[in-house]
Amino acid sequence: MKVSVVKNVLDANDRIAADNRELFDRNKVYVINLMSSPGAGKTSLVERTIMALRNKYKIGVIEGDIQDTYDADRIAKLNIPVVQINTGGACHIDGNMIREALPTFDLSKTDLLIVENVGNLVCPAEFKIGENVKIMLLSTPEGADKPAKYPLMFQESAALLINKIDLIPYVDFDLKKAKRDALSLHKDLKIFEVSCKTAAGLDAWTSWLTKRIDAFKK
Amino acid sequence: MHELYLAESILNIVQEYATLQHFSKVNSILLSFGRLSCIESKSLQFAFEVQAKNTSAENASLDFQILPAIIHCFSCEKDLEVETYSAICPKCGGEEVILTGGTEELQILEMDVD
Ligand SMILES: Nc1nc2c(ncn2[C@@H]2O[C@H](COP(=O)(O)OP(=O)(O)O)[C@@H](O)[C@H]2O)c(=O)[nH]1
Ligand SMILES: [Mg+2]
Ligand SMILES: [Zn+2]
Repeated sequence: MKVSVVKNVLDANDRIAADNRELFDRNKVYVINLMSSPGAGKTSLVERTIMALRNKYKIGVIEGDIQDTYDADRIAKLNIPVVQINTGGACHIDGNMIREALPTFDLSKTDLLIVENVGNLVCPAEFKIGENVKIMLLSTPEGADKPAKYPLMFQESAALLINKIDLIPYVDFDLKKAKRDALSLHKDLKIFEVSCKTAAGLDAWTSWLTKRIDAFKK
Repeated sequence: MHELYLAESILNIVQEYATLQHFSKVNSILLSFGRLSCIESKSLQFAFEVQAKNTSAENASLDFQILPAIIHCFSCEKDLEVETYSAICPKCGGEEVILTGGTEELQILEMDVD
């Protein structure tokens, strides 16, 4: 006997993500899901973003990156509430992991929650966590072929930060191709060229983000 | 890696339907996903076999309907199926293209059950 189903396999996760989203909405928490390959500069960007926005917003961080166990310590040093998620070796953060991490935060007193996802270009894009935006980081040493190889990630992201732009003279990175491929996957993708080392381009990123957060909070 | 999670999610959905529709054995499950969505059907099959032991879906086969990667080129105004994606039209070399299909997420379409 045939039984018609037609259901997304990740439906259960989507529902948990929607519950998280409801909770964030009630508390007016803007949530960023930050994704990239290992070492592209996620933690560095989180640090830079905290430094730029900490006087304006109450910020919390969830660390899911398994590559570097020091990430949560780096954030804690800045006196920012941070939880390290134990993904149990999983290649992504799912909605339930976020739900379990939330009791650590006083959501009513949080404006911005940054989730640093596991360093991986394949899986995290498929798993919603209840975020407002997915933000993707691509670093110049990784090469410009990434949008073509991992299209979903770029389609799902609201903004792409091309990081380590200071290394352009030393690495073989075709900036034009990366941007063209990324935009052809997602025509409204906002692209920033930044360096978390020199801070180049970061003002444009933080003011774009500020506009979004303020619009959300209104 | 996420194939483990996907296999578990498939089994949960099967279990839900088994309870609702009172079937005890699943013979096959038809799934679909876009060819660029980074799902390894072999790994998924393996993860599923392992986790389906002692459930109604033990020994059920997974069948895949893989949806093609399609680009639309604004220069030649055509839709073309491609193997791998690049923002250049393989026909005319035009750079104004968009991806219109190929990243569809994993879905269960139907099951064959007893
Ligand atoms: N040259 C250069 N190095 C960077 C930049 N951003 C981060 N890094 C370095 O790249 C390495 C990985 O950064 P990290 O933030 O830990 O990456 P994550 O694994 O994505 O969290 C560290 O050694 C950083 O100092 C950048 O813009 N330029
Ligand atoms: Mg990190
Ligand atoms: Zn063409």
